[in-house]
Amino acid sequence: MQIRLYALSTCPYCRMTKKFLDSASVEYEMTEVDKLDGAEKEAAIAEVRELSGGASFPVVVMGDEVIVGFNKKRIRELLDL
Amino acid sequence: MSAAGPRRRFPEGTTAGDLRAYMAPFVERLGYRFNDDEEFVAEVLEAEIEILDEAGDVYCPCRVRTGDPKEDVKIVCPCIPFYADQFAKLRKCWCGLFVRTDVEDGGELHGVIEVPEGPAEVPVALADEFPPGTLRTVRIGKREVALARVGDEFFALGNVCRHAFGPLGQGFLDGHAAICPWHGWRFDVRDGTTDHPGADVATYPVSVRDGYVFVTV
Repeated sequence: MQIRLYALSTCPYCRMTKKFLDSASVEYEMTEVDKLDGAEKEAAIAEVRELSGGASFPVVVMGDEVIVGFNKKRIRELLDL
Repeated sequence: MSAAGPRRRFPEGTTAGDLRAYMAPFVERLGYRFNDDEEFVAEVLEAEIEILDEAGDVYCPCRVRTGDPKEDVKIVCPCIPFYADQFAKLRKCWCGLFVRTDVEDGGELHGVIEVPEGPAEVPVALADEFPPGTLRTVRIGKREVALARVGDEFFALGNVCRHAFGPLGQGFLDGHAAICPWHGWRFDVRDGTTDHPGADVATYPVSVRDGYVFVTV
């Protein structure tokens, strides 16, 4: 399953999500949206809006599922932990 | 003129402690307090200071700014009034900096993000600060509600007069009648009825607990 984390460097639940994914030793791609510039940043924000219908972080994409917020329970379920 | 120019609300050198002291008294009136997880609070406030230095105001560290001031004002911390219905159900704000005053241990709410279905009981005012005879508009997420106190009873009704869309909460009370400040239409605060056919306004259940007035929406 492909896992992608959209995060902000300032957001504590983004950090917790990252820590949790790291501790589960799964591979994932992370985009720190606020660290991007110009067009790249705009594109990332547009992606997040498209996926989640808003601009609240973190957004975790796991396969076909989009999880908005630090939802440990759901991540665990999807990872079969 | 830069965004961090004259309209900046906090002076250069503002610290996390300054922000905390500034916000505590008014979030209390919204029915919230700082999270009990001190380490977490320190982390969020440091992030807000970073954002303040960069963007000129304390925007939410967990959301992105659009660049449209009308939209971005809704994510200036504390953003509770703009999401009062959603947060009342989560029992915390989106980033977890604030938790409802009736939460026992805010640290246990980390990781709670699903908003339960159904109505939200939203704290809107301190009962002691809302004396009998008061009529005022309160914001609950996207909606505005006129909150009235007659004697020891509280009432909540739709804020928009059905005549010319005047703001009922800015009007006057005469007994149980809320009078629209624009053209004097009268609405019974108990059931939202008016003498004008088909122009009644909605009412919402109100309760008072632990000194707070709650409106259910």
